[in-house]
Amino acid sequence: MSGGHDYPHEPTGVETRKLGMWVFLSTEILFFGTLITTFLLFKGRDFPGIKLTDVYDIPFTSISSFILLMSSLTMVLAHNALENEDQEKTRVWLLATAMLGAIFLAGQIYEFTEFYHKGFELSTNIFSSTFYVLTGFHGLHVFIGVVFLIGLWAIGQRQQGLSLDGGMNLEFIALYWHFVDIVWIVLFTVVYLI
Amino acid sequence: MSADHKEHPTPKKYVQIAIVLGVLTALEVTLYYIEDLVGSFTDPLLIFLAVGKYIIVVGWFMHLRFENKMVNRFFAGGMILALVLFTIVMLERGMANFFFN
Repeated sequence: MSGGHDYPHEPTGVETRKLGMWVFLSTEILFFGTLITTFLLFKGRDFPGIKLTDVYDIPFTSISSFILLMSSLTMVLAHNALENEDQEKTRVWLLATAMLGAIFLAGQIYEFTEFYHKGFELSTNIFSSTFYVLTGFHGLHVFIGVVFLIGLWAIGQRQQGLSLDGGMNLEFIALYWHFVDIVWIVLFTVVYLI
Repeated sequence: MSADHKEHPTPKKYVQIAIVLGVLTALEVTLYYIEDLVGSFTDPLLIFLAVGKYIIVVGWFMHLRFENKMVNRFFAGGMILALVLFTIVMLERGMANFFFN
């Protein structure tokens, strides 16, 4: 974009904190890249014990995926509302995003519980271990995101408004949240559909 | 608020993008269920749809397409490194299977 988001006073032309956030997300790609690679190393091989394909519930996971996708919409609407200095809408969309994230997490806990009851446990075989580590770390990221979102919403309530300047602001949390969403886009395809 | 933010999409546009994402997800799930009909094209199509969704979220929701080139390079750097890692591991696995099986 011509001149968009340029900071001439910064040597890189980008706000340093924002660049730091993008570098962090870049390292997160490597982190999940490693976990996905490990998962794929063992996918499709024969192991003792129940198979993941025997315990899948694709309709349920599809709805969870759709919920997480829509939380990206509410997140971007919160960001947009703050840019337009509409504090009320910002808080509403932030809370909606946190709620959708919490629903996704509840779904994942339910799914893990079902898998356990059906005999697909963390220690069933090495493939089940890679599955739980991969999806579990994603769930942990969603949980951290929900905590950030509720914290930001609470700050907005307490201070009668949020700002796009200073501190760990909404824009960075939005970037983090969208990142969690894109990781799930990959996981949904790689882990469940292929 | 800086003037460049005016170039970001409107809420209506964001909703339209979300609808597209929803439709792509529905297509993915449909492909999963009609795998027998689609055959060997299923996996490439699923990967294509996932990449499409990924690009839409990164470009429009994360505003990467509106960002400075420096930011784009850092983000692309992470993806390239992850893909290199993936390729090396898979090649190593392939060679191990070839020599030891």
